[in-house]
Amino acid sequence: MQKTEQNVIEVKDVVKTFNVFYDKTNTLKEKLLFWKRGKKEIRKVLDNISIYIKKGEVVGLIGTNGSGKSTLLKLMTKIIYPNKGSISVKGKVTSLLELGAGFHADFSGRENIYFNASIFGLTRKEIESRISSIIEFSELSEFIDNPVRTYSSGMYMRLAFSVAINVDADILLIDEILSVGDQHFQQKCFDKLEELKSYGKTIVFVTHSLGQVEQFCSRAVWLDNGIIRMDGNVKDVVNEYKKITV
Amino acid sequence: MNVFKSIYEYRELLKTNVKKEIRGKYKQSFLGILWSFLNPLLQIAVYAIIFPIILKNTQKDYVIFLCVALIPWTYFTTAIVQSMSSIISNSNIIKKVYFPRVIVPLSVVTSGCVNFFISTIIILIFLFVSGMGITQYIIFYPLIALVQFLLLLAISFIVSSVTVYLRDLEHLIGVALQLLFYATPIVYAKETIPENMQNIINLNPMAHIITAYRDIFYYQTAPDVVGLLILLGITIIMCIVGYLLFNVLQKGFAEEL
Repeated sequence: MQKTEQNVIEVKDVVKTFNVFYDKTNTLKEKLLFWKRGKKEIRKVLDNISIYIKKGEVVGLIGTNGSGKSTLLKLMTKIIYPNKGSISVKGKVTSLLELGAGFHADFSGRENIYFNASIFGLTRKEIESRISSIIEFSELSEFIDNPVRTYSSGMYMRLAFSVAINVDADILLIDEILSVGDQHFQQKCFDKLEELKSYGKTIVFVTHSLGQVEQFCSRAVWLDNGIIRMDGNVKDVVNEYKKITV
Repeated sequence: MNVFKSIYEYRELLKTNVKKEIRGKYKQSFLGILWSFLNPLLQIAVYAIIFPIILKNTQKDYVIFLCVALIPWTYFTTAIVQSMSSIISNSNIIKKVYFPRVIVPLSVVTSGCVNFFISTIIILIFLFVSGMGITQYIIFYPLIALVQFLLLLAISFIVSSVTVYLRDLEHLIGVALQLLFYATPIVYAKETIPENMQNIINLNPMAHIITAYRDIFYYQTAPDVVGLLILLGITIIMCIVGYLLFNVLQKGFAEEL
């Protein structure tokens, strides 16, 4: 795909390696005494990846465990940085990478909405105008003033998702956390994402559910061992993927 | 310039962090926010009892002499100690969510600064109770506080990011701060020590800052304004250098933690 003005996410020739320490030394003493322990293995997680995503595209990232999907998503959010290549993301980004990320266990659900939304760069005023719709969407109004450590993982996810979709971001990056919710809430999430899609938001999400990809995405990218095995039309990619994995 | 824009965009996070730090600090304790006053008061009491015994001739009104220096010094050490562990203690968020990482050291120094402003009330109470009062030179207080803020920010950028890679720094800095305590005219006046030692002490930016506080509150004269402005320039440069280093190191935070 050619580089155009419309690309909101440009991942260009990205290489990402992780140092895997057998036994990590963090202090000077350990480094001096056990200098052999510094042994590490360099693991290439992404190898020369280029993806250009246009505004309004809904991209499903598929691939087996360890293929680099989550790493790619983390790179897009700027939590980690590539060793080579460049990544540019235009517009406001919201990410839902891990369950309970950006939550304080001892704070109440309500306080966490404020905290979480401020991490996404919202001002107090903006949060206040949205808080009722966030709580309503999460269906947690009964528990909203309880500390979130008492929440179940499904409740966590409902709260996190409700905040994320109400941030009004241009780009949503979602890791496979949607699978936590029950059938009813999952459907609700997809309805909401469908709505955001119709507003022209760009969505990238990682999933193991091919059904979700077929139902929801406009494009699928198949990552395999750090390289792009296939990129394009949802049906073609999913069919190819099924051949290999099933 | 981009930094300022992103800090402005994330101002709510900065505010929440500062509030959390100030309120959370004494949340579990019985006396609560009163500790903001009690802590420095008790510290002053300790030094005011011990140092007149050790030193042969202390200054007159030694308690006030101490108090005007010890309170900004406490701000200095507390902010540095908190900065050291700030990135590490926020690791669960840093690993999972993006936000401008500079918010972390910035909120540590800012909350320290707010605490310092509150403790300045202690200085004022001492001044009024002793009958010394305040003079017009107090207008230099914001300038001195600004210089100290920028100095702390620069140090905070460096120690918060380097500690992530080299955890030993925590112990080294603990010792360094202890040394610096004696290399800063807090329990003594700069004039009372040998001249060649004074030259060494002059290299310590905190010495100038503490002296300036002492000038306006205790001696009630004008501080060395030219010196302060030069120091302001130096601290701005330090902040830029510190930020650049922080910015390079922050790219590896999520992986190193």
